[in-house]
Amino acid sequence: MRFAYYPGCSLHSMEKAYDRSVKAVCKHLGVELWEIPDWVCCGASSGHSMGHLVGLAIPAKSLVKAEKEGLDVLAPCAACWQRMVWVNHEVSHNPEMKEKISKAIEEEIKGTSKIYSIIDGLAAIGMEKIAQAVKKPLTGLKVASYYGCYYVKPPKVAHVDDPENPQLMDNMMKAIGAEAVDWPFKTECCGTSLIFQDVDTTVAMSKKIIEMAVKAGADVIVTACPVCEMNLDMRMTQINKRFKTNFHIPVVYFTELMAFAMGSTPREIGLDSGHCSGTQSLLSKIS
Amino acid sequence: MSSIVNLSVQQREHGDLIDRVFAECGVDVRRCYQCGKCSAGCSVHICNGMDVSPNRVMRMIQLGMEEEVLNTKSIWACVLCSTCTARCPRDIDVPRVMDALRIMAKKRGITKGFYNASVFHDIFMNSIIRHGRVYEAGLLVSLKLKQSGTMFADLPIGIPAIINVAFRLPKLPPKMKNQDQIRKVVENCMRIEGEN
Ligand code: SF4
Ligand code: SF4
Repeated sequence: MRFAYYPGCSLHSMEKAYDRSVKAVCKHLGVELWEIPDWVCCGASSGHSMGHLVGLAIPAKSLVKAEKEGLDVLAPCAACWQRMVWVNHEVSHNPEMKEKISKAIEEEIKGTSKIYSIIDGLAAIGMEKIAQAVKKPLTGLKVASYYGCYYVKPPKVAHVDDPENPQLMDNMMKAIGAEAVDWPFKTECCGTSLIFQDVDTTVAMSKKIIEMAVKAGADVIVTACPVCEMNLDMRMTQINKRFKTNFHIPVVYFTELMAFAMGSTPREIGLDSGHCSGTQSLLSKIS
Repeated sequence: MSSIVNLSVQQREHGDLIDRVFAECGVDVRRCYQCGKCSAGCSVHICNGMDVSPNRVMRMIQLGMEEEVLNTKSIWACVLCSTCTARCPRDIDVPRVMDALRIMAKKRGITKGFYNASVFHDIFMNSIIRHGRVYEAGLLVSLKLKQSGTMFADLPIGIPAIINVAFRLPKLPPKMKNQDQIRKVVENCMRIEGEN
């Protein structure tokens, strides 16, 4: 399998642990990644508020490069993924908009490249194949899979999995030997970029999610989105101060656990240093 | 917002608001029957991030309360999580309506509903137009300088987290072969929208 890889800004900046672990998992599973040359930002979270066309044309600029290469896209950031999915949605439903986007990017966009998230991209490989690649099963580790909103809502456009109770990430956690805890806030919103505008509201939103995962008995929360990761991981101390709580649950990318189970070292994928919440307790449990 | 609204005046003067929202985003807010399901699941609203609940925003459009709705914090605070859209029994894409209202407010220079959000979007767009990709360090500095009351809002993340973030954050702008790609796309979009 070969994908056009669209890492997006976060994975090249703060969230290198995601970039590295995605690449590591793909390598373990024999998936080849071709990084879209000179890709640009997808425009989230502001392009679409400037105008409908701007919001579509900016992600189309990078998407069209994958189309020309004849490859489907793998976009591990939920926001990037959804912006690109919207482009294909409009291109296939609205001929007038298709023409406008093509004019704006000065190239014809056809909508021929499917956009995979890292969740359905890896799940498509099959749970058996994932299980076969495991060298160190994470037996006994209780994992709360947190999907966030952008992969599953609105379901007409973003349908990686069920909008209220998705399962794919849970299944992958089971495939690497971990225990998937059943919990209700899998797709509750973390607040996304509201963190740059209204910190009080956003930490209250993130707190609800962390609290529920802890109540469900999880040892670790795994995410598939850099914004979710940042809001849950980086704000733990702030949440504890504000709500007089005492949460110390690590928040990492699900691909980090997969890569680790498949033989990567924590250092190779950033599992040791790429998070604020501290992963020592997690590492001592799985090492 | 005043608590008494003269509906006859609203309808006479702004009765076409619902049509203009439709023209902007293709969502027909007439369909909303005010069940409130959107608000019941809206995490931003539940955590007190909105001044008017999402279903009330829909109602204000139906009633032609144009000035009031364009001045709300809610139209900017919506994070487009689409939980409401997933659950709306009338198939209304609430965040697309919110986006349409932002675009309308922006065109008229109304940003006081949620100044820090409007500043964020401006700075974000300027950053990617200039660099082609997000330059987070530069973005953060500009935000702190221009927003009101957020200068120290991130300090409570604690010293270990601040050190970790400072370590991970790239200090220099992203390197690209052609960093003017977004600038060109945005200019083209403005021209195309102007032609219509
Ligand atoms: S859920 Fe839909 S119909 Fe119900 S109040 Fe909200 S927008 Fe209106
Ligand atoms: S899309 Fe906006 S209005 Fe709807 S639930 Fe999310 S934040 Fe609330």
